[in-house]
Amino acid sequence: MSQVSLSREEAIIGQLKARFPEAIEETKIDRARRVTIHFEKDHVQEIAMFMRDELGFDHVKGVAGVDLPTQKKIEVLYFAGSYSNAEVQDFIVILKAKLPRDNPIIASVVSVWESAHFHERETFEMFGVKFEGHPDLRKLLTLDNWEGPPPMLKDIKFPEMGQR
Amino acid sequence: MTTEPPSPGISISKTAEPSTLDVSVGPQHPGSGHCRILIRVDGDYIVSADPDIGYVHRGCEKIAEYRNYVSNIPHLERPNIADAIHLNWGYVLPIEELQGVVVPPRGKYISTIAAEMNRIMSHLYGLAIMQGVFSGHTTIFMWAFGDRDLFIELAEMLTGARLTYSFLVPGGPRRDLPFGFEDRLSRLLDYFEKRLVEYDRIFFSNPSVIARAKGIGVLKREDAKKLGVVGPVLRASGVKYDVRKVEPYGAYADLEFDIPTFEEGDSYSRYLIRFEEMKQSVRIIRQALEKIPKGPIARKAPLVAPEGEATGRVESSRGEITYLVMGDNSDKPSRVKIMNGSFRNLIALPFLVRNVHVADMPIIYGSLDYWPVEADR
Amino acid sequence: MSTAVLGAMYEGIKHIFKHTFTMKYPYQKVLLPKGFRGRHLLYMDKCTGCGICAWICPERCISMVPVTDNKEYPQNPEKRFPQYWYARCCFCHFCTEYCPTGALDYTPDYELAEYDRELLLWSPERLSRPPTNIGEYQSVFHGKDGNQGVTFEPVIKQKSK
Ligand code: SF4
Ligand code: SF4
Repeated sequence: MSQVSLSREEAIIGQLKARFPEAIEETKIDRARRVTIHFEKDHVQEIAMFMRDELGFDHVKGVAGVDLPTQKKIEVLYFAGSYSNAEVQDFIVILKAKLPRDNPIIASVVSVWESAHFHERETFEMFGVKFEGHPDLRKLLTLDNWEGPPPMLKDIKFPEMGQR
Repeated sequence: MTTEPPSPGISISKTAEPSTLDVSVGPQHPGSGHCRILIRVDGDYIVSADPDIGYVHRGCEKIAEYRNYVSNIPHLERPNIADAIHLNWGYVLPIEELQGVVVPPRGKYISTIAAEMNRIMSHLYGLAIMQGVFSGHTTIFMWAFGDRDLFIELAEMLTGARLTYSFLVPGGPRRDLPFGFEDRLSRLLDYFEKRLVEYDRIFFSNPSVIARAKGIGVLKREDAKKLGVVGPVLRASGVKYDVRKVEPYGAYADLEFDIPTFEEGDSYSRYLIRFEEMKQSVRIIRQALEKIPKGPIARKAPLVAPEGEATGRVESSRGEITYLVMGDNSDKPSRVKIMNGSFRNLIALPFLVRNVHVADMPIIYGSLDYWPVEADR
Repeated sequence: MSTAVLGAMYEGIKHIFKHTFTMKYPYQKVLLPKGFRGRHLLYMDKCTGCGICAWICPERCISMVPVTDNKEYPQNPEKRFPQYWYARCCFCHFCTEYCPTGALDYTPDYELAEYDRELLLWSPERLSRPPTNIGEYQSVFHGKDGNQGVTFEPVIKQKSK
């Protein structure tokens, strides 16, 4: 691919940085149409609100957890996308927040992005991340009688899957 | 019918009204697939619904951390066997991005042809089971399933398997178009276009189908945006969003096609949108067969991916599939996250089945073309 | 409204006079294309026992086992060959594709059901047997663009027409 201008990506980052100078920790343009933003976890709802109301990112494509055992952190990723704003319809903005691994708590964004409802439930059960303010934080996919730690954490190994 | 919409919230509240009754729909397939929908009914009306999914959860994302990049392909496409190429392609794109491999043009065209054939097959499956059987129309079930088999025959010729293709690996498709494939495919498309007219007469213009599906389960444009639904469900509500247009992958940038949209957002327009998409797929395959360049089909890709993360997405038959793949300099991904159409459309189900007759629920459920295994992963 | 009902009925009735689509499976078998991914065929004179097939296999159904016959395999002095556990195989055929010597091949055998679970374990000798399943039926369109229906016909009969 030839050199593409990344001005739209920079504009989004610029707007976010101007609005939340202290909450945005690090930004990165992965490639055209992909922006990654690391932010401070306490500001998740404000950032989500700003993204929705000012930038037009009206839904999340998913909420993912990533376990980082070496850093003792769990990262929560929000994949924000837009339907209403034709300018940024082709974007995926990945918002990342790092939570402590022993007590992962973050505010829920369901009040802002209703589409996060099932995704947050899934992340809750797979990584044990508690989304405060979620209307219905129950288990979703695993068995009702699944006792034990959240299964997607790296220290949960399933030996029968075999490690080669 | 009550005019006041029920209070928001998609979970069943703890306190039941004395006149209501909780009914479990599924998981043994009375029109729900492998998921259970817990509905609360008041007389003949559904007050609220709580989808209880996970009956076919197999931990694809966890298994993916144990297998190498190529070995991941078969089990990552299994969640939706009706749509295997798209699930496969969405996973391969971020790996190619991480490794910096560029698929040659011919490979892109072959993938596009395979993907569009897969879209037709998947929509025919949806037409047969999700729309035909669920609305009690057995004829279209037989017809659509029969014609799907002709496409399967050709997919088998191209990939070597009927449904479980595992056709795309990092670097490009695994096989070139076999001898005689173009002829047979264009002959099949001629036949299929004639059949679409017959489908229209017996199903889509059939007053009994219209009476059952029109005006049922209306998802307004604003709600569709807010709930973040994708694919045909979104486009039936009037939002023109298709990954093939907003972020063209494969050969879609060179090909001409339209994105059909409908304004109504009811079950009937969700039926129709898939019908229109099949016509567009025929158009895409015709152009691709004409324009396909000569040359290599694939590049050699390493078995290892460097450290980093990449997000790739494709437009599958059930909507956008986004894959996040994280590499860590080894032959296995350190994290694979799948965000697929069925799981994202699931939120529309409890939203839509509120305040409808119990008998309308299969229609709404069928019009979403929800695939439980894909949602559970 | 009533014309649409009549149109739907006409379309349905028209179908009574078309050819029937069904293929009577156990008696008629479909002609499988070249490269159909059925069970594997092992060329024991090519296999070097490198184990790449076992490494790439997603389901890990391949194990490398020593063979005790009195033949000599110069390229494979340890006489280690892949053995398949077909209860797990998903027929992706990555093993065939990644084999560096081309010792594995596709066959059109798909009728692999057994009464005994143990019989699903295919030894290298059994894998090197030639395929047996040969179908001959293929779809044929009748009339212009198939407006008279589609049937499955034997390929030999099609050619002689
Ligand atoms: S079959 Fe091929 S890949 Fe497997 S051990 Fe023999 S030579 Fe190696
Ligand atoms: S076809 Fe696939 S699953 Fe079966 S043995 Fe070969 S690599 Fe393994």
